[in-house]
Amino acid sequence: MQACRALLFPLAALIALAAALTPAKAGLVTDLSQHQISIRSNFTGAEILIFGALEAESAAKPGQSTDIAVVVSGPRRDETVRRKARVAGIWINYESVTFESVPGYYAVASTRPLGNMLSDRVRAIEQIGADHLTFGKLIATSIDNSRITLGEEQAAAFTDALIRRKRELGLFHNAPEGVAFLGNTLFRTTIDIPANVPLGLYTAKVYLIRDGAVIDVISTPLFIEKSGLERLIYRLAHTDPLFYGIFAVMLATFAGWTAALIYRE
Amino acid sequence: MQIYLPIAELSVNVFLLLGIGGAVGFLSGLFGVGGGFLMTPLLIFIGIPPAVSVATQSNQIVASSISGVLAHWKRGTVDFKMGLVLLVGGVLGSVAGVYLFSLMRQIGQVDLMISLAYVVFLGIIGGLMMIESARAIRAARLGRSLPGRRRGQHNWVHGLPFKMRFRRSRLYISAVPPFLIGAGVGTLVAIMGVGGGFVMVPAMIYLLKMPTNVVIGTSLFQIIFITGLVTILHSVENQAVDVVLALLLLIGGVIGAQYGARFGANMRGEHLRALLALVVLVVCLRLAYDLVAVPQDLFSLAPAGEK
Repeated sequence: MQACRALLFPLAALIALAAALTPAKAGLVTDLSQHQISIRSNFTGAEILIFGALEAESAAKPGQSTDIAVVVSGPRRDETVRRKARVAGIWINYESVTFESVPGYYAVASTRPLGNMLSDRVRAIEQIGADHLTFGKLIATSIDNSRITLGEEQAAAFTDALIRRKRELGLFHNAPEGVAFLGNTLFRTTIDIPANVPLGLYTAKVYLIRDGAVIDVISTPLFIEKSGLERLIYRLAHTDPLFYGIFAVMLATFAGWTAALIYRE
Repeated sequence: MQIYLPIAELSVNVFLLLGIGGAVGFLSGLFGVGGGFLMTPLLIFIGIPPAVSVATQSNQIVASSISGVLAHWKRGTVDFKMGLVLLVGGVLGSVAGVYLFSLMRQIGQVDLMISLAYVVFLGIIGGLMMIESARAIRAARLGRSLPGRRRGQHNWVHGLPFKMRFRRSRLYISAVPPFLIGAGVGTLVAIMGVGGGFVMVPAMIYLLKMPTNVVIGTSLFQIIFITGLVTILHSVENQAVDVVLALLLLIGGVIGAQYGARFGANMRGEHLRALLALVVLVVCLRLAYDLVAVPQDLFSLAPAGEK
């Protein structure tokens, strides 16, 4: 309770400020607890707080349902899912499907399970929920380099595998009751960022949903990057790999030599 | 205490890494092999991407081999001339291996290549060593001595050209077999993330017929340069060397190796070889099982940069 109150005070102050600055309109005011996450050597993941309030005019009238959905998604890149098959007694990667522009991180939190508050059509349009991400036509490449366009069933099997694998890595996340209302207008949720997140620009989108229709969306950027020594090492390895390699060997030489001296007696 | 590895891009417990380094270092000091054949599968097992495991492991072996070779150098048990011939072959082999590695990464079969290479080489070497050391142990128990190396014994190897005199090894043989052995082992260093001692040492003893006392020092000597080269090549070609990971492994490894070497000095050669053979065979069987057993999930996600 104490912690809750401590959190609420700056929160309320912020919201009051934001409300004063934004012209009055039906909708949302939101913010994140941090807009930048720096990955250092002790980084084990982070938790960001996403909070906000409904504008006075958009408070629910009796009989109306008001829901919030929060979607945090990371930089997109191509992902390849492989399927193993048994060849001459051993299991090898036999087919692979490359999904274009998959979010490196994708978390959804909502006040109720998404299926209860939004129709499939709206979810597909807004791409809310990992199972509503669309990737276009999927083409499987076999080990013998033949390419076939997957039928619906096979495409679903590969898409499910992509989402399942991402979930296991903690990179896809779903919290059906993760957003909590504090009173009628304030809401908050926390999103876990694991240590293995891809770096880059993230967006946190907050949807205000009234009776199954999206009536407002606010998008806030979030930047995740390496800093300090981690950044230096990563940069060097990618911009000047030859120097990096020589440096790594010299470091190992020095360490091996030192150890031999220590244990010489 | 967790630490974030900048190239592997994940967070791992420091003490786990120090512990793995220490345990593998102990075995490497005990047997006089790099220990990479244990380390690489262990790193992959704890979730480090295979490419990063192999490349980083090469870097770590540079350090452990240097601290190992210095002791041999002082005792005069390094045949530098033999080492250089092995090295010339090794340079060619490792360059070929690194390019093969990045080719396999591009077609998504690098894991399979690593596993198959492990199963085949560990199986052959472990099996042969087990048979040989069991024979030696039985002979010692019966009080007989096995027929030793007969001086002047000639076989096809002696018919090859480019004969060289290797004083330390008391050999006068063609440079071709050590060159080929160096090249073969160099390739394995690049694709398996090993020092190659587990292939090099038996090859020196049984094929080149070098005296046992110079084998380990000479093997370590050339391993330093080959793994150094492989580290640089993997950095350039795959950007997969994680210095933070390497440093943690080698701190554990270097300390472990010192104790391993002392412990090994009190053990009989044939017992040591039997024990090493056993460790090699267990790792081999474990990897072979993973290749043939039905996987828990047929689907997997390709690491970044692979198809």
